[in-house]
Amino acid sequence: MITNRELENYMSSLQHDLGPITLNDREEILREISAHIRDSVEQSGASLEAVLARLGPAPELAAQYRDGLLMRKASRSFSPLLLLRASVRLATKGVSGIVVFFAAIFGYLIGGGFVLSAFAKCVFPAHTGVWISDGKLISSGTLFYIPPPPAQEVAGWLYLPTALVLGSVLILFTSFVIRRSLSISRLVQEKLDFTESAGAAR
Amino acid sequence: MRFRARPTDPETPDRWEAQLRKGALEMAALASLWSGRLYGLEIIRFLEGQSQLVLSEGTIYPILNRLKADGLLTSEWVEAEAGHPRKYYSLTDTGRRRLMQMAQAWASFAGGLSHLLNPVLNHSAFVSSTESPQEAHHDHE
Repeated sequence: MITNRELENYMSSLQHDLGPITLNDREEILREISAHIRDSVEQSGASLEAVLARLGPAPELAAQYRDGLLMRKASRSFSPLLLLRASVRLATKGVSGIVVFFAAIFGYLIGGGFVLSAFAKCVFPAHTGVWISDGKLISSGTLFYIPPPPAQEVAGWLYLPTALVLGSVLILFTSFVIRRSLSISRLVQEKLDFTESAGAAR
Repeated sequence: MRFRARPTDPETPDRWEAQLRKGALEMAALASLWSGRLYGLEIIRFLEGQSQLVLSEGTIYPILNRLKADGLLTSEWVEAEAGHPRKYYSLTDTGRRRLMQMAQAWASFAGGLSHLLNPVLNHSAFVSSTESPQEAHHDHE
């Protein structure tokens, strides 16, 4: 029988760090890891310390389980919050992850800006629109100072549906791109990944 | 003109190799189950025996967990004769098909690469067979 303070610490740290994973899954993971530890000690005759060292630190082990869950959930979801969280994790794992992260920020900010300015059109109709002078675009969006003549506002109330649709499309497109890159990165990891798993390879 | 490895990161080849192994680990875990069910420690032993893939034993369990969630593996708890139960994994039909696709992709990729690397490997064999590495660079004189 292995009854050891160190083992208890390891298992309770693992349990704690598994955090958001459902109770059933968590118990199954703990059961499997403790069976591994017991078998390793009994079969190889190695010391408990050596077995735990080969398993790696409990927080790191738990983080690998959590990352798997986050990526899986996010690549099936359209929630910007979840997708952003997953792209933050992806950004820690290689250059292409950083590109996805900045594309995500960029897409959500611009898309969100369009949607907000559509609502602003209802509240500040005179200050929101598209201004053109001599056939050139002077400014667009919601402005504090309206461009002086000869600049003219050309969009009118059409601005509202246009901005709403453009913003929504951009937000959806951004979500789609993140989901795509999450599932590509998972596929790549399953095959021959050199870069995405850099963070986890330590 | 010769390209040199940047002197600033001497640990690059090791890290690169570690990432390479890590990347192949999922395919290797699936491949270890090709001929029958195994539990985690058996998979680790199998991979250690067949290849030097396992970096840290802990990495294999989250991977098995993910492969199971993706429907490529199933698992069952089996009571051992003497004592405690073990979690055995086996390939699902999807997992088996996926592994065959991966193996083909890997083989064609590795085949292409080794063709590309042949001159490099031959050259380094030549360099290590000569007394001093500098003799290998006399060709430009």
